[in-house]
Amino acid sequence: MRGVMLTITLMLVGCATTALAGQPEYQKALADAKAAQKKAASVDGEWRDVGKLIKQAEAAAAKKEYDTALKLADEAKAQGELGYAQAMSQKNAGFPSYVK
Amino acid sequence: MNLIQRIAAGLAIAAVSTGLLASPEDDLKAFQGFFHKRFPDVSNAELGNGVYAIDPVGRANWEAIEEFPPYEPMIDQGHEMWDKPFANGKHYKDCLPDGPALGKEFPHWDKKSGRVVTLPLALNECREVNGEKPLPYNKGKLASLLAYLAFESRGQLIDVKIPKDDPRALEAYEKGKHFYFARRGQLNFSCATCHMQSTGMRIRSEILSPALGQATHWPVYRSKWGELGTLHRRFGGCNKNVRAKAFPAQSEEYRDLEYFLTYMSNGLPLNGPAARK
Repeated sequence: MRGVMLTITLMLVGCATTALAGQPEYQKALADAKAAQKKAASVDGEWRDVGKLIKQAEAAAAKKEYDTALKLADEAKAQGELGYAQAMSQKNAGFPSYVK
Repeated sequence: MNLIQRIAAGLAIAAVSTGLLASPEDDLKAFQGFFHKRFPDVSNAELGNGVYAIDPVGRANWEAIEEFPPYEPMIDQGHEMWDKPFANGKHYKDCLPDGPALGKEFPHWDKKSGRVVTLPLALNECREVNGEKPLPYNKGKLASLLAYLAFESRGQLIDVKIPKDDPRALEAYEKGKHFYFARRGQLNFSCATCHMQSTGMRIRSEILSPALGQATHWPVYRSKWGELGTLHRRFGGCNKNVRAKAFPAQSEEYRDLEYFLTYMSNGLPLNGPAARK
């Protein structure tokens, strides 16, 4: 009997650990994504879908789907960083050579 | 305005004043000259008809639509709004005494408030001064009021000024210019990518309209919208199309963009409201 109880306890702990696996990584990725979004917005470089990706990541995390949430947060972070880099690359934009 | 914009605008003003950078007058000549070379048989006035100046099939369709203009009921609604007094008994005309034919007066630089003032902004500020709630900027009643004012302004020539006695006006113009030519969004397009570099070419089934003349005919009844919409609604739509985050209608970014884009159409006749696909 004691053996059975121990087995069940170990199984439950295992399931919980599996469900929460990825949560710390997701939380860091989400914080990074929000920081990247803010940085891109500070130079008017935010892309259209960054906010949507962050919301989708949060919705997935609420359902404890951390693998999905992590992927979405990573994509949001990447788009935030690219938007910032793009805006910086365009800071001297003006009349192109084909106009003059 | 963020730090990068401030530095860029400051440098631009210094460069213009020292002759190192093109002045707005030089820009206007280059901008309009580009389209005159690209479409040598199309007049400035025709360019105010957008893509229908360069697309004969689309034009035939558009001319048929204009026989029974879909924006006509909105002009009537706007007329009623213009004439109807606010709750305090005052009218829009008390704020804008030169109305209703106000098209050629906007956008303009307002030295007192240090910003570009557009016609929709002036109308809503008039409402607020008189105790009325501002109207949404993208569509609806304000668009109808703009349709009436645009109709009354038909034939006026665009004459946007960049006053030389206030460097902030040039700064706003330069910011609008920067917005126009800066690539943005996941697709990495600028406004000019479609409407200068690729104008006359197809994007999927649509021919890209020329930038010259794009400020002449607002508000517009777009078949895609199934209703009337404003210029800033279209700015937002274009930004979303290239997968950039759109700015709010009447934000500083879009008012400065309107200032630049309308200045580039100086000399063209106003011909709003209009119908588009």
